[in-house]
This record gives sequence, structure tokens and C-alpha cells, in this order.
Amino acid sequence: MSPFVKNPNRPDLAALQSDSDYDAIVVGSGISGAIIANELAQAGKRVLIVEAAPETDRTYEGYTEYLNHFYGQSAKDNQSPFPINPNAATPRGSELRKLDPLETNSSSYIVQSGPYVSDTVYTRVFGGTSIHWEAKTPRMLPQDFKTQTVFGQGRDWPIGYEDIETDYETAEREMGVSADVEDQKYLDLKFRDSYVFPMRGLPPSWLDEQVAQGIDNSQVELYGERYALKVRPFPQARNGIPNPAYDGGKGFEPTSAVASHQIDIGGRCQGNTNCVPICPVQAKYHSGKTLAKAFETGRVDLLSQAVASKVIIDDASGRVTGIETKVYHHVSSPAYKTVTLRARLYVIAANAIETPRLLLASGLRSKSGLVGRNLMDHAYLLNWALMPQICGTTRGTSCTSGIVDLRGGSFRRSQAAFAVDIHNDGWGWATGSPSTDLVELVDDGNKFGRDLRNAIIDRVSRQLLLAFMIEVMPSESNRVTVDPTYKDPLDNMRPVVSFAVPEYSMRGAAYARQFAKTLFARLGAEDHTHYDPSNYGFIAYQGDPYEIRGGNHLAGTHIMGSDPSTSVVDADQRSWDHDNLYLVGAGSMPTIGTANVSLTMAAIAYRSARKIIATLNH
Amino acid sequence: MTSSPRLENFVAFSAQITAFNKVEIWGTGLADVYLDTIDGLVGAAVTDALLDAFAPIATLRSDAARTDRLRLEVFGSERLGPVARAIVKLWYIGVWYPLPSTWQEQFGPTARNDAFVPTPAAFVEGLLWPAIGSHPPGAKAPGYGSWRLPPNIPSF
Repeated sequence: MSPFVKNPNRPDLAALQSDSDYDAIVVGSGISGAIIANELAQAGKRVLIVEAAPETDRTYEGYTEYLNHFYGQSAKDNQSPFPINPNAATPRGSELRKLDPLETNSSSYIVQSGPYVSDTVYTRVFGGTSIHWEAKTPRMLPQDFKTQTVFGQGRDWPIGYEDIETDYETAEREMGVSADVEDQKYLDLKFRDSYVFPMRGLPPSWLDEQVAQGIDNSQVELYGERYALKVRPFPQARNGIPNPAYDGGKGFEPTSAVASHQIDIGGRCQGNTNCVPICPVQAKYHSGKTLAKAFETGRVDLLSQAVASKVIIDDASGRVTGIETKVYHHVSSPAYKTVTLRARLYVIAANAIETPRLLLASGLRSKSGLVGRNLMDHAYLLNWALMPQICGTTRGTSCTSGIVDLRGGSFRRSQAAFAVDIHNDGWGWATGSPSTDLVELVDDGNKFGRDLRNAIIDRVSRQLLLAFMIEVMPSESNRVTVDPTYKDPLDNMRPVVSFAVPEYSMRGAAYARQFAKTLFARLGAEDHTHYDPSNYGFIAYQGDPYEIRGGNHLAGTHIMGSDPSTSVVDADQRSWDHDNLYLVGAGSMPTIGTANVSLTMAAIAYRSARKIIATLNH
Repeated sequence: MTSSPRLENFVAFSAQITAFNKVEIWGTGLADVYLDTIDGLVGAAVTDALLDAFAPIATLRSDAARTDRLRLEVFGSERLGPVARAIVKLWYIGVWYPLPSTWQEQFGPTARNDAFVPTPAAFVEGLLWPAIGSHPPGAKAPGYGSWRLPPNIPSF
């Protein structure tokens, strides 16, 4: 199926401002916003989506502009396809530097007030970070929903795995997940008896197979318990081969690239090895696919280049009465017009940094005082080595398999769990390979011609990068705030982030390093890992060096709970303080375990959409 | 692309320093773009000196002999070496990396002094990727499931 994107004219601002008949305003066009807008529209509701970025990639041509921009950049970081837009800035790792003690760095869009400098990013384009994401979609483990009860760590969710299992299935359908259910039954992860994923699992890479041959069925011991290891494929929201057994034998039709005209690509992954920062063919799910369906109903309007700047509250009732929004005319100019947009109900889906930023800039801290607090992201520790044999590195999706056996277990009483990614794209994330390898071989190695060609094969095709995605538990001192000293060109306050990697996670990181060395020894791989004290992510822990990288899995700044004094939203992501306001996204997650957050975020968006529709119908 | 003796010399030089053959170099469609780019950066006189230095080397029969002479007269030359290295990198990854400041002090500033990609196609046609039996990230995708097969690294 190739959904056509309707291209209505940009809504007239004066008409929008006087329109009092929207059922909901959704701020943000990422995965959560798209799902809620589409669910509401399918239920007959009128929705206005407010998006801070231009709608460039809403068309296939615009999407392709991003790809060409990516090709043309000499430094291909994870935001390189997306042009600079000061009016709705996108955080970029290239802007960062190490902080001196007590120093605040405001030269980057996210003001870094330390002590740790996170290179976590999100993408402010139409579709949000779903354009950039890698599209790994593991479910959280049942034990992840009750870590306080089971391990005495973190916080329990107000709902359990069984409460969102059906929403996981719905999210897997919407995002088009490729996986084989037999590969995904591990630890306490369970699936409905007859369940199959929409599409068959993507084949593991040759590199995965080489790692598997070396370590499958070997064991590690942790706090007196033994854990058997196995290289296992990850579920991915990426088009593969539809499973004819899906949906009781009805099968599944993948959603290919979205376009304003007939176009026939993206029905299946081609192996571009470029999931992050942009899939050239849109075989990877992005929220534009859901939005295309929403726009088709004719009941969803989009206001782009519109930055929500204030949530307006009626003091007496506590209800939201409007969203003040700054609409700019061009990315190159800070000129803007302010409008107030109104609807029956408001949904903020701007991500776990921008949502609390907007609330705090509006003076809304919630009675709990927890807006912006408990900021989480996975802490990544990279380990890299050269395999003894040529492995054909740089082929496949960014990552097809990993080691997930230590996502759960009794050791979580003492230290963080982790999932390990086997990166098909080599050392790039850690070292900037292969361009850095090339420069070194040519400039320092004095290689050219045949010597160079042989050396490049030897250096790149044997690369193995293991990325450890380490659990980070909520901590109130890890937070997003705002400060009128730091504003963007539209006079909106920028987010100020204070973050420290918790001790619990560093214990996990220390074990991760040891675990990586054990695996490299079993594989006969040459360990090339080194952590640079001048890097912004450098952390010395118990005398040993580490570099912790951000995971772009932002969560936890408006956490859900069952008590208004200790949480910001309820289990339906409805604000405890403002009953026509929903704060949706990974910011509502009280813990993130070792699952990339998007699938769970999508699942709870379906839960919220049901509640919102019921409320509007009431 | 219209050919000229100068462009043909540049292609022959490029083939020698990358270990790709002349057909593969022409096949990128970028030889003329690169020659113009290099002329614009360092001046045609430097490019000419490079090609002139290569002309007698190109006639040598053995690759080992050509390599030895290239080391001595091109890559080991204070004036030509940094330019030759920049050309190797340009062919392999599609990025022009700026010449060392010492070179610019001695032989004059280059027209630009930043790393840049002359045209988006430069990245897509980078020779590093076929050298390792792969494809540039985001382009020339090898097809669904191809990653499961053992790598097929071309001999040369």
C-alpha cells in the first residue's frame, strides 16, 4: 500500500484562530502525536496538529532533499540530513564539549548544566525523531514494570505488562514490525498463544553469525547465577517479508514510502545500512505513514512552522483554554506572528525534553513538582574490536542482532541491566570509521594504491562494535528546567539539562566493559576500545575510564503514577492538574528498562487515544 | 564528460593511486568534477606538476616500480605529496580534506580550507565501499537479505 499524502493548503491563521470547533490540538507530529491524531480522526474527531518544524519531508521530494543533504555533508553525524533551523533547533552532538566543574555551557541549543554532558539528540522535523530513529522495537519485560517491588530499584508503573500487551500488538501492526515470535521469547517476555509479528524477522547479518559461532551457548556468572548467552535478532519496525499467518491468517500489507503521487519503494528493506539518520527508501517506519492516513480522513489539519510557546490555563478550573503559538515564516528569519489556538482537549506530544520545556515555560510545574524531573535516557557504553576474520562489516540494517540475556535477572537488585547491539555499521559511532581509518592509513600510514586497498579491507571488514544499552533509573535530580537567561530566536526559553549517570548504571557499565572483554577473548578479537579523558562523555568510575554516550531514548520528565503527589500524569497520560490536558510520549514512562522506548511509547499512545475518545464522546 | 589528454592523465594517475582501474575511475562520472575541484583549490600549476611527475612513472612496467617512484617523487614530495594524499582520500570517501597549514604557508593558500563534499554524488561514488565489497551507507543498496551472505570482496 502506498498511502497518498493529501496536500491541503497551509491553514489560514486568522481562520484557525477563530476556529472553536477542534476536538483536540496535538502539539508534535512524532510517533505519539501521529497515533493520537489518527485514532481521533478515525473516530470522527477534528484535530489540529501543531508542528514546530517546516513540513519539508511531508512529500517524497522533500524527504529526498534530506537524503541529498546527507550525501553532501563532510561530517555525517546522526543529524546530518536535517538543515539548521534556529527557530526550532535540533540538538547536535557536534556542538558539545566537556564541562569544567560547576560550568554551564549555553552555546548548544540544549543548555548543558552538567555535571555529565549528554550527546542525546532528538530531531525537530515533520515526523519528529521518527525520521532519524533506528527502529528497534523490543517490548519491555514484564519485570521492567515493577522494578521497585521486585528489585528495590526505580519505580513501579501504575500498569503492568498484561495491561498493555494488546496495545503492544496494535503498535507492532501500525509500525510494521518484522520479527519471529520464537526468537523473542526469552526471560519473562511472553506473547499471546497464536501471536505472530506482522512480518517475518529480518535475516541476521554474516557478522552476527560470526559472533554467534564464537559465543552461543557459552555462559557468564553474575552474583552467583549463571546466564547462557545467545546472539538473537531484534524486532524492527522495518519492512520485511509479510507473515501470511498474521492476524489469524489474513496476512499483512506493509506500508511503503509516503508520497503525494504514486511511488513504489519502501515495501521492503534493501539493506542501505543507514537506518540512522535516514532510510533512503522509507522501509523504516516513520510517523508520516500514520499521519498520511490521518490526513486522508479530511479531519486533520496541520499547522507547521508553529512553535507552541505557552499552555494557557483557566486559574479557577485548572483547565487548558488555549495554546499560544509562534508561527514563523521562514527558517532564516526570526520574524513570527503569535496566535492562540483552541480546542476541547489538548495533547502535548513534543518529546521528553520539549514537553516539560513547554510546561515549565508556561509556569506549570504540577502539584507534584515533578515536571521535568526524572529525566532518563539509556547510557551507552561502546566497545570495539577487530575480529580475526573478515566479517563483511558495513552490510545490513544498522543492527540486526544482539545479546539480550542480561536484560533481566536478580542482579538488577545491585546493578543495571543491559542489552548489547552488534553493530553492522562498524566502528563509526565510536571512532568515526571508516573515514577516520582512511585518513589515518593515508596520512600516517603512507598507504596508496594496492597497499591502501588491502589495508582498508583489513581494517574495516573485520570491525565489530558492541554497543551496550545500559538501564538508567529515574532520579529527581536528573532534570529539564528553563531559565529566562537562555532563549531561542523566537524568544522561547531553551531547555536546560542537568544530568548525572547514576551509580547503579555505572555499576552496570563497569560490568559491561568486563563482559565485552570476555566476549572479545572468546572470539579471539583484538580489543581496540579506548576512552578519551577529553571527551565530553568521559567518566572515571572506581579508577577506571569510561565514555558514556547518550541513547536518544529520552523519557521520564512527566512520569505516570497512581498518586498525584508523586506523578505528573495518570495511567492514561492525563495530567493530574489539568483534566483536559494529556502529556503523551516516553516522558510518561516511570522506568525504561532495557527497551528502546518508541514501541512502548506507541503502545501507551493507543491507551491514551481510547481514553481521549471516550472523554470527548461523554 | 568530454575527454582531454590532461583529463586522461588525471584518470591514469587516479587509477594508480587508488588501485581501481581506469574504467572504474571513468565509471564514477566524477573525474572531470574532481580535476576542476583540485585545479580550483590548489591552482592548475600544481595539478600540472603532479601529472607531469606521474607521466614518466606511468610508463614503468611493474606496479612495484611505479609505487617506489611515486613514493620518492610524488608522495614524498613536499609540494606534491599532500595534494596526492588529498586526492586519494577524495576518491575513496568523496571528501576533500584541507591541506596541512605548513603546505599552505609554503606554497600558497588553497581556495577553501574546510573539509567538503564537492557534489553529493562524490559520497555515493566513493571507492572505499566497492573496495570492501560493500556500498555507501544510504545508497546503492545491495538488496533485502544480502547481508546474510558471506562478503564478496573483489580481487584487484
